[in-house]
Amino acid sequence: MAEMDNANPTVLAASDLPTRKPLQKRAKASQLGIFASIPRVSPVRDPFTVTPGQLYESDTSDSEEDFELDAEGDNGVEEIDSQEIYDLIAPISDPEHPLSLGELAVVNLPHIYITPGNPISTVLVEITPTITHCSLATVIGLGVRVRLEQALPPRYRVDVRIREGTHSTGDQVNKQLADKERVAAACENESLMSLLRKMLEGCK
Amino acid sequence: MDAKLYLITIDKNPAEAAEIAANVARKIENKETKLLEVVQSLGEPLTDEDRTIRAKAIAYLGAVLNGITGKSVTRQHVSVLAEFLCARLEDEVALKETSLALTALVKTGKVPKEDILKVAETLFKTVDMKKHPQGTRFVVLTLLDRLMADYRPVLKEMGDDFVTGFVSLVALEKDPRNLMIVFSLMRVILVEFDIERHVEALFDGVYCYFPITFRPPPDDPYQITTQQLKDRLRDCLTSTPLFAPHLFPPLIEKLDSTNENVKKDSLQTMVTAAKNFGPLVMRKYYGKIWDSVKYEVLNALPNESDEVMDEALRVVKELGSTLSYGLNGTVPEGSPLAIYVKTVSKECLDSLKEPQTKKAKSAAILLSTVASSSSSAYYGIVVNSVPALMTIYEGAEELVKQKSWMEVILHMLDAGLSVYGTWGDLNPAPVQENPLAKFSERLFEIYSQALMGGSKDDTSKRLIALKGLDKMARMRSFLSEADIGVVVVYLNEVILEENKEDVRKQALDNLLDFSKYRSNLLIEKTFPSLMAALPDEEPKELVVVPYPIILEALAKLSLDRAIFDVLITRLLNKLIVIVRNNAGEQYVQAILATILVVLEKKVAREDVDVPNYYGRLATSILTRTFIVLLSSEAASCFRVMHSNSVLSVTARILNILIRSLSSEEQSLALKELWKLFVSGEPSQVRSAVAGGFRPFQGESASELDSSIIIFAAIFAGLRREVEIPQHKHALPDFFKANVELARSSATSEVRQAHLVITSVLVNKYASISGQVSEVVDGLITGLKSPNQSLETAENNIRLLFWIGKGLVTKGDKSVVKLLPRLVELLNSQQFGSVARRGFAVLFGDNEFINQSNHAVLSRLAKQKAFALSVPEIVEGFKSAQADLKSNYLVALSAILRSVPSEVILPELPELFPLLLQSLDLDEDADVKKATIGTLYVTITESPGAAKEHMKSLITRLLKAASEVSTNPPRVRASALRCLKTFPSVIGNDDVRPYKSLVVRSLVPVLDDPKRAVRKEAVTCRAKWIAIDEPED
Repeated sequence: MAEMDNANPTVLAASDLPTRKPLQKRAKASQLGIFASIPRVSPVRDPFTVTPGQLYESDTSDSEEDFELDAEGDNGVEEIDSQEIYDLIAPISDPEHPLSLGELAVVNLPHIYITPGNPISTVLVEITPTITHCSLATVIGLGVRVRLEQALPPRYRVDVRIREGTHSTGDQVNKQLADKERVAAACENESLMSLLRKMLEGCK
Repeated sequence: MDAKLYLITIDKNPAEAAEIAANVARKIENKETKLLEVVQSLGEPLTDEDRTIRAKAIAYLGAVLNGITGKSVTRQHVSVLAEFLCARLEDEVALKETSLALTALVKTGKVPKEDILKVAETLFKTVDMKKHPQGTRFVVLTLLDRLMADYRPVLKEMGDDFVTGFVSLVALEKDPRNLMIVFSLMRVILVEFDIERHVEALFDGVYCYFPITFRPPPDDPYQITTQQLKDRLRDCLTSTPLFAPHLFPPLIEKLDSTNENVKKDSLQTMVTAAKNFGPLVMRKYYGKIWDSVKYEVLNALPNESDEVMDEALRVVKELGSTLSYGLNGTVPEGSPLAIYVKTVSKECLDSLKEPQTKKAKSAAILLSTVASSSSSAYYGIVVNSVPALMTIYEGAEELVKQKSWMEVILHMLDAGLSVYGTWGDLNPAPVQENPLAKFSERLFEIYSQALMGGSKDDTSKRLIALKGLDKMARMRSFLSEADIGVVVVYLNEVILEENKEDVRKQALDNLLDFSKYRSNLLIEKTFPSLMAALPDEEPKELVVVPYPIILEALAKLSLDRAIFDVLITRLLNKLIVIVRNNAGEQYVQAILATILVVLEKKVAREDVDVPNYYGRLATSILTRTFIVLLSSEAASCFRVMHSNSVLSVTARILNILIRSLSSEEQSLALKELWKLFVSGEPSQVRSAVAGGFRPFQGESASELDSSIIIFAAIFAGLRREVEIPQHKHALPDFFKANVELARSSATSEVRQAHLVITSVLVNKYASISGQVSEVVDGLITGLKSPNQSLETAENNIRLLFWIGKGLVTKGDKSVVKLLPRLVELLNSQQFGSVARRGFAVLFGDNEFINQSNHAVLSRLAKQKAFALSVPEIVEGFKSAQADLKSNYLVALSAILRSVPSEVILPELPELFPLLLQSLDLDEDADVKKATIGTLYVTITESPGAAKEHMKSLITRLLKAASEVSTNPPRVRASALRCLKTFPSVIGNDDVRPYKSLVVRSLVPVLDDPKRAVRKEAVTCRAKWIAIDEPED
């Protein structure tokens, strides 16, 4: 193992990372606490009289489904926001440590900017290397870029940059990350790709 | 004669040959012949030119010897034979047979000492193991093992000759089975023999096997595992302190290896060595070991598993406890332990100066691990590190630093807990004062401040504070009783203030700990403050802490008897107060639900005191429910007790209580309840109550009708042998009355109650089976008559299915006829859409008809019903008109949801086309979702069945995932979840042809309007992208 660039970085607690505020409905369910386990329906409910919409929801809450739909019902639209982008890239593993980019504060919620446009919207992510001479900044940037290009609809243009003043050769790295051909060439490189795959394994 | 016969037979029929030898042995045992005569009878073959004949002859001798005991042979005979066999050892071709024969001879226990010496000497002098296959070597080693077991003192007398002889005999052994013997012999030598002059040779002979890299072949006949070899080798390496100078340097060197298993092996060997070698030896090596092992913790590589680190921690801990031997909590100045703890403290403190760093976390773990190794080590570490740690805190200004520091201290508190113990521990705490207690005041202050002062938004800090205070409160000889009381008060406050969910949960968990050992604190401090926070009337506006949260806390804390008793009294009183204040049904329901939740938990953990609560609760709750019968002004507010939501909780409470009673108790209880609900006589509940409430006679006061559900819940919980009071309603009449009420009741709640009672009657009381089949026949005939109104028909179908439920559950034979009839109903334009819902009744789980309600259950009841109905459904589906097909799919998906997948799997090839078709139905999203759920299960359980339909499956799932207008988000998400499993479950090779289709088709889904769907789409697509291209 080669010497690490930064063998001893600062680590944020997982519970301190930004998360989406629970939906209104969710919060209410958790307020019910243990009472949520008591079915609201009569214990001798009648499968004959339930309306079709509740056919299967009436008896058990689908516990394996950890998502709940918002108050707007099935037809509301939830736009892609910076928290969603954050959730996509925060779990990427750092190439040096068994920690995520979120825990190392390499990616930060306030440093994600979305500029809506029609037809093309732009996502700008500014990354903060753990130290100013981090030689893996390009790899990390590339990881973020690949992840977003795989996960966002094509109407989003992805821009990944080093946050100003956080890296000694930031401009150079930015140039590399913005250069389409160099990115494409990098993705052909087998050893680089296998490193990237490892980093993206943490994204569930 | 026998010998010749043996020689002829052995090749053709080994079993028969063995029998011949055994016969000869028996003759010797019975003194019919003599051992020497047997040898003499062999004669020539023993020295025959043909080596195979020689070997066979000796095999015969061995086989005979195996059958005899020491009783029947004389010492001289044995000696002669031993000398003869010893001489034969030189005969290489017969080595195996000779060794076997010698082993058998040694077993007789009659071989003289001189001959034993001779055997050992000859073995070492003449046998060259390299020349022999492993099977032969095994036999030689077995002989040695036998000698070692029976004649150890003799072998010890051989001294140096034995040790060197053994080492050179077994050198280069590679076979795992043989090594198992070599290692165990070696260990005896190392422990018991005088080996001082041969330490190096012995060490080299053992260490050359380290680390074990052996992997057993899949069909290993000897079943020897790598672990067994590792364990035996480790026992050898660590069996004598004389090895210490030879052992530790190479083990330390091995830590540089990149192979994790080698590292783990080395570390494990160090642990055992430290334990076995003892403090006097380890004082020479602990420094070097610490110097290298600490790196495994402090500089753990990102791709290394925690296992290496765990082993490394075990090493530093073992060093601590070994060096503490005999010190009893003291750390003498200048002792090895004193130097060890000083070194550990100093080096860890270096990393802890910046507590927020990654290395600091590892250092904290190292520090606390050494501290937890003994009371002496704990004392030493605390004295050497905590004062400096306190200084670090006082100098830390940034919040992050303070928080991380508090986490570091949590590790120290853990060490304290493991050395000083917690409440409830039986072994006494160390006699010395807890050295950490010196800092308790300041620590208590810091953590209290972090929890109660400052920003309440910093969740992680408050969580750390809660954990710290909990550990402090639980550690023996640390906090004063008064301070522990203060912790409880803090916890109460945290629960009662507006808060993040996880902080509250942590606080509750901590209180739960107190409920086991300090229930008095809870009753004195927590209950009053939580009960006081419960409003006396339905809260009108949003309050800081809603009552469900308080009730939840109370329910969680009240599992133990003393506390639950207090809870019941307080809640039942509260119930009267809030009802009088005209509280709504929600609040009333919540109060009762609290009691229900505790009861359910008590049942789940099999508490034996549940039946006691029948007397405590049943009458009180029923009285409060039926007080309305008084029809006075004061009682009218109790109507809320008859709202459906409150009744459903009341019914469940009574169900749990009644089913826990014995038959006798149930009979007594039923007598009273029968008076109340059926016969209308005065009862405990009703004595002072006027007014008519006779739900079974159609003269009830209408607003109380619904309370019949309470009776249904009670009735369902009765044991089969409990007799129904024989007043006016004998059993058949009671059944018929229920059947009528189940068809005619005005409200669905009342009807449901009667349907359940009917179903229970059908299931538990065989004596009414005549009436049951009469009713069933009548219903089926009725459905065929054209002039039945739709409403009547619906009621009849409903009844039919509920009766069917009772029959199916007990596996009654009448279902063979009934189920096909029920499936036929699906093909009806008129009733099909009603009947299809009935299959959920038949196959679904019912809260009141199950094992805990003493129902009559047949093993495989669902399987039988499945076999009777599903083929009919498949056939019916095929021939049905297009607009009726969905009836079959709804019925099928209800069945598939409730039947174990191993029942479904064999039928899958038949069912798959149906499942696929139901994905094409646009009308019913729930059917679709259920179908996808079924597909998900079947694909994971039986990937083979899915393979055949891969293409249509994938295209349909993609369609379900991407067509937003016809598929609600739930369906889209579950389709994606299903599709996600394909690569891992079905295998890359089979799904690869569809990779580009899926990856491409999912691009638009990345733009789904719903976030939850997009999330699924991203993961699903990533899984498919990760499918590698085939290597060509």
